Amino acid sequence: MGKYLEEVVTAHEKGKKLCMTTFCQSPAIFWAMDVVPLLMEPMTVAGSLVRKGGANEFMDYCVEAGFTETSCSSQRGALGAYLAGLAEKPDFVVIDTPGICDTNANSFSFAAAYMKLPFYQLNYPPTLKDERAEKYHRDDYRNMIAFIEDQTGNKLDTARLAEVMTEMEKQDLLICEIQDLQRLVPSPVPVIYNFFIYGLRFTMGGRKEVTDMLEAMLAEAQKKAQEGKGAIFSGPEKARALFIYIDHYAINVPLWSLLDERGVTHLGGILDRFYQADAPYAGDDGYKISTDSLDAMIDSLAEANSRLPMVKQIRGPYDAPNMWLEEGLGLAKMYKADFCVYSGTPGCRNTWGMVKLMAADMEKAGYPTLVINADAFDDRVESWEQTRHRIEEFLEVRRLV
Amino acid sequence: MNEIFIQAANRVNNPAIEEWKAQGKKVIGLVCSHVPEEVITAAGMFSYRLRGIETDSTSIGDTYFGPFICSCPKAILENAGRGRYNFLDGAIMVQACDSMRRLDECWRKAGEDYANIVPSFFHYMGVPHKVTDYAIAWFAQEIEKFALALTEHFGAPSITPDSLAAAISLHNESRRLLMDLEALRNAGDPPLSGEEAMTIILAGTAMPKSVYNPMLAETIRQLSGKSAGHAGKKRILLAGSVVDDLGMFRAIEAEGAIVVADTVCFGSRAYDGLVAEDDPSYTTLARRYLNEQFCPRMFGYYEKRLEVLKQKIETAKIDGVILQNIRFCDLHGSENGLFERDLEALGIPCIRVEREYGPLGDEGRVRMRVSAFLERLSCPPPPGTGVLKRGFSTGRPPPAAREVIRHARSIEGIQLRLEPVEPVLRSVQDGRRHTKGVRPDARTHPEFSGRHRAGHGHGRARAALPERHGQVPGGGGHGP
Repeated sequence: MGKYLEEVVTAHEKGKKLCMTTFCQSPAIFWAMDVVPLLMEPMTVAGSLVRKGGANEFMDYCVEAGFTETSCSSQRGALGAYLAGLAEKPDFVVIDTPGICDTNANSFSFAAAYMKLPFYQLNYPPTLKDERAEKYHRDDYRNMIAFIEDQTGNKLDTARLAEVMTEMEKQDLLICEIQDLQRLVPSPVPVIYNFFIYGLRFTMGGRKEVTDMLEAMLAEAQKKAQEGKGAIFSGPEKARALFIYIDHYAINVPLWSLLDERGVTHLGGILDRFYQADAPYAGDDGYKISTDSLDAMIDSLAEANSRLPMVKQIRGPYDAPNMWLEEGLGLAKMYKADFCVYSGTPGCRNTWGMVKLMAADMEKAGYPTLVINADAFDDRVESWEQTRHRIEEFLEVRRLV
Repeated sequence: MNEIFIQAANRVNNPAIEEWKAQGKKVIGLVCSHVPEEVITAAGMFSYRLRGIETDSTSIGDTYFGPFICSCPKAILENAGRGRYNFLDGAIMVQACDSMRRLDECWRKAGEDYANIVPSFFHYMGVPHKVTDYAIAWFAQEIEKFALALTEHFGAPSITPDSLAAAISLHNESRRLLMDLEALRNAGDPPLSGEEAMTIILAGTAMPKSVYNPMLAETIRQLSGKSAGHAGKKRILLAGSVVDDLGMFRAIEAEGAIVVADTVCFGSRAYDGLVAEDDPSYTTLARRYLNEQFCPRMFGYYEKRLEVLKQKIETAKIDGVILQNIRFCDLHGSENGLFERDLEALGIPCIRVEREYGPLGDEGRVRMRVSAFLERLSCPPPPGTGVLKRGFSTGRPPPAAREVIRHARSIEGIQLRLEPVEPVLRSVQDGRRHTKGVRPDARTHPEFSGRHRAGHGHGRARAALPERHGQVPGGGGHGP
């Protein structure tokens, strides 16, 4: 994260453009085009995890600037600092969520209008794999590259892109291996690794530093697996939790500490499922990276982008083919989950529109499912202590540990 | 006022629907102005815009939707769950906004608990959020898919270029007439109130166009040249989230204003922009329905919408703009923040109001805020400031804050709770704040929470963040 933040704050000094973007947008294309991706959500999370009071005052500033207080707090945190002019001003905005998440897309279109920045949206149809949808992904992705070229004045460098994508391919395989090991009972993968996986992938995907870290993580998990040991520090694995949406980011990562304390393995969630073809859960929904030609590279990036967290699962009706329910049931079965948790933010209009139905379907399939009403990024909505109490109550009442 | 219009505007069901159904014809419900109604008409059916009116609770809606969801789709589901939409033969769900698009699943799930509430034809349609050649091509295919599904399901004759051309012509006729009605509303002495105008417009969403158009033409003929005593009232433009409840207009106009223009869904958004008649095709429909919508679901088109808004303000000689949004409608709520900033900078007074959809349960609160806003509009502008003037900025520099405050203090009956002068002055000098120092309305109302009194919300972008904490008495909100 330190390395990433250094890239952000020194981008202009180094003559690079700074692109405001979102977590569900592969950063590889930006690194390949010598643009530094400025991600709002990881910035908000960083504030929440390490700073007393989190990113709250910046969230409030957004409201002062005219942005609704009911909007998603994951963007509102970091965004406030940018709207207030307290940070390096981005040069343009590229997002990946129209058709997926209104509140996410709206945050960035608001930011672009407020700061008068050039804006590009990758937009998604409600289906994933039919020919029309795939063509739309490819056309839109090429259009985005043209936009970035316009903004930077640089043409896409094929050799540089191949280099980044080769690195991305290595990282994909490492992530797949780690997630394969998660299927073992007990899981040899430490509870915090899911957070590392998506944190790395969102910010520095395609960079060598990520490969190094993933290799170290895989080695640790493999060692545990060879020893037949679980990775819970507090003792034996007592239960396995699938987070069907996101995690909770109060100060000092207390969610993961709680899970470890209670002997619960974190099986990951929507944020660390990228749908690489080799992923154990991907079935025939996955993407394959090809560096055979420029067109092949762009096509595979478009395919990868269209399968990013959220971008894949909540674009259509939640119970349609390839969507959220199918994934939730598939992952719960494959990873032998004992229960599921929905954690999100009140700003998530999309999932709150149908999470009751999703939870009911998961319960019907035999998976106790906890819906947390807290805000993963703003503990003023519900304190972490209250959230912790609710999780513990759920574990006890449903006799899960 | 035509009694049929009144019934159609105020009731879920109405005689025009019953008459249509009695002829054995189909009614198809839709939830968004992005649905190309011409397809339904070309298939020999009647497109009916779904509403959540006549609800007295959202207990069924709340059962399926989560808590942080706009009350509009909840109220629609309430009506469906109570069987009020059982006259529908079909419904089309659209990727409109996130709250509305989840009506698809919630309605289907409710159908497992409430018998016969899901129409036999229930179709989900995607709508792009951008306008490019490939987005238009994709949407044209989506419209074609919808057309095929519709005709196949009901065994209706296929839609031909001729039937599509006739449908386009019929809907364009309706749009032209509604534009004529808007011109009457925009006149200096409008022959009808905003509530009456909206009654007429809403009726068109609940009646077959073939029945509606002749009635509308006759109504316009009768209204032309008439006076209804509205001259001299403060002229309001209503913008923001969907408004299909006449109570909203009633609340505004009860305070002595008149709504002479709007940009809301069900209002001008439904009829602005004709479909090109020289090429009756799905691509032509796709082009109009992506290009001519004033909805912030189309991301990245803020400047275009601002221009449309400014044009309407100028044409209708607007005194003030009410920017309202339904709670949890972040698309309109946030864009309202931008509109407020940019319109106020041009000297056009605005007020932002958050509300719930449905029977105007918070009518008292809305009326109080509107009343305060009108009071602000009635204040004569301080000499030479350009503040509160009608129309656009003269290009003069923003007013000196002290002068504005001194003038506001001189107005009898207004009690000011002003912020310290220096920060106001500083932000005015920065060009970030224009009339904000003189908003006695917002400051003195008891309904305002401490949070608002402390300076939160309503578009008050201040200078840099660290200064904010130092400048607002009482801590400036709920920061750490």
